[in-house]
Amino acid sequence: MKFLSLIVKSARRSKRRTVLTIMSVALAVFLFAALRAVLDGFNAATAGSSSTRIVTIRSTSLIFSMPTSHANGIRTIAGVQDLTWANWFGGIYKDPQNFFAQFAVEPESYLRMYPEIILEADQKKDFLEDRTACIVGDGLARRFGWKLGDRVVLQVGIPTYGTQDFDFTIRGIYQAGGSAVDNQSMLFNWKYADERSIEKGQVGWYVVKIDAPDHAPQISAAIDQQFANTPYETKTDTEKQFQSSFASMFGNLNLLLGSIALAVVVSTLFVAANTMAMSVRERTTEIAVMRTLGFPAQWIFLFIAGEGLLISIIGGVIGALLAWFVADGEKLGISGGFAPVFAVSPGNAAVGVGISALIGLIAGTIPAAMASRLKIVDALRRVA
Amino acid sequence: MLIELTDVRKKYRRDAIEIPVLDGVSMSVGEGDFLALMGPSGSGKSTLLNLLAGIDQPTSGTITIGGTTISGLSERGLAAWRSRHVGFIFQLYNLIPVLTAFENVELPLLLTRLSKKQRRDHVMVALDIVNLSDRAGHYPRQLSGGQEQRVAIARAIVTDPTLLLADEPTGDLDAKSGDEILTLLQRLNKEFRKTIIMVTHDPHAADRASHVYHLEKGTFVAA
Repeated sequence: MKFLSLIVKSARRSKRRTVLTIMSVALAVFLFAALRAVLDGFNAATAGSSSTRIVTIRSTSLIFSMPTSHANGIRTIAGVQDLTWANWFGGIYKDPQNFFAQFAVEPESYLRMYPEIILEADQKKDFLEDRTACIVGDGLARRFGWKLGDRVVLQVGIPTYGTQDFDFTIRGIYQAGGSAVDNQSMLFNWKYADERSIEKGQVGWYVVKIDAPDHAPQISAAIDQQFANTPYETKTDTEKQFQSSFASMFGNLNLLLGSIALAVVVSTLFVAANTMAMSVRERTTEIAVMRTLGFPAQWIFLFIAGEGLLISIIGGVIGALLAWFVADGEKLGISGGFAPVFAVSPGNAAVGVGISALIGLIAGTIPAAMASRLKIVDALRRVA
Repeated sequence: MLIELTDVRKKYRRDAIEIPVLDGVSMSVGEGDFLALMGPSGSGKSTLLNLLAGIDQPTSGTITIGGTTISGLSERGLAAWRSRHVGFIFQLYNLIPVLTAFENVELPLLLTRLSKKQRRDHVMVALDIVNLSDRAGHYPRQLSGGQEQRVAIARAIVTDPTLLLADEPTGDLDAKSGDEILTLLQRLNKEFRKTIIMVTHDPHAADRASHVYHLEKGTFVAA
């Protein structure tokens, strides 16, 4: 304890430098924890996918649609138990900055397909009975302060749906029962969108329930085979593959975000090490004086390394707390739809603090070794 | 005798060249002596002081202080020995700027097993001896040069060491402050029976000592 106050006083020697070092470590940990949270969000969405759901999209791209008549063809394939479809709507709520995902879905089959969408029975009934009804995730409702019965007006974002605003009434607020669905989206009746669409009878993707996970490759192949050489060729994958391929649209996220996090951590390590080395160089005489007073070299090592560790861990804790409060997809309103729901987990925050400790340890070790090896007479002579 | 030096030699190596600094120095210092070491720059007096303080090791010869042959001690052993037996006073005071006068004086006591209260008592006694009890909470930057040196002396005596070593303790002070420091050292020698070895260029400072040794080119010479 008596030495801790000595370490703290030393760390406060140059307040500006210490604060800047703490901030650089905090920023590194913040970025690390936030990037890990986004990656974990993608991984959780993939991991939470059902193995008995497969997704059919246009072979060219997800952004191209296909006719509802495909549904009849898919239903005839052996092993197909159920089917639903959805469209990306892309409406604007008051301002483009208020982004959230809206899906035009076939209500009954969609809710049947996704039991993870937890909706009270009376709300489900209201949703199915009202053509302009919508249901929203509880996270989205919290974000905009919506409640049952509220009217929501969306401006058209994709020209296919004309120019007239869409009026919706919130008939249900659902909870997400698994990571395959999120609580940041809005679902409404596909027919409402279709009747105003320039191209009638078009859907973005089909979700097909199959009888057994083992049959996914054959059924997927059969679906795609059925529409081969038509104007609307398809590409069918398991839901997990679909989620993964969506994530891969951003490139190799693990490599990309991982590289950024590593670069930030390593550059911070250099900054912290340089700062510690500068600090030790400035204290050459003091270290020599302490050695003269009888402080063993090992203790000098521990003082310097301890100081680096202390500064770094303070930065790490600040960065982790900052990430905990700020890097939350729900609060920021950037989760939902295909973007993962992400938030910094206690594990990520702890790893961030651990990394800060590692930075402090490595950054402090070299100057600490230099300081402890200093020959007292040489150090005193350097200044005298 | 408290201190016995026998044929102590010290050479420094600069690249391939060996530079002899002390050339077979032998001396004896009794307990309670106040010794002044004089000599021109490069004569080896600071080197001799460093060897006596155990912060440097002789190339050959033996140094025995209080019955301990320090020239044979390991680095760690020397550190422990220094903390118990040596109080060192530097020309430039060398106080730790982020610590108060009290904390600077307390520093050597952190190496002991004394309780916080015991440490506090020792520090206040040391500050009282140097007449700076009222400046305990001041930082070095808030003190004059003379006051800083008195805090450094308090730091040197707080562990009640066997030996006080002073490397030009008045070299950075004005005449009045320097005189006060020398009076203080004399008091420590006479009143508290501290053995003091002081390196100085100043003959007036050397006059305060009970014995004066002259070093030239690494050996003692007659004054």
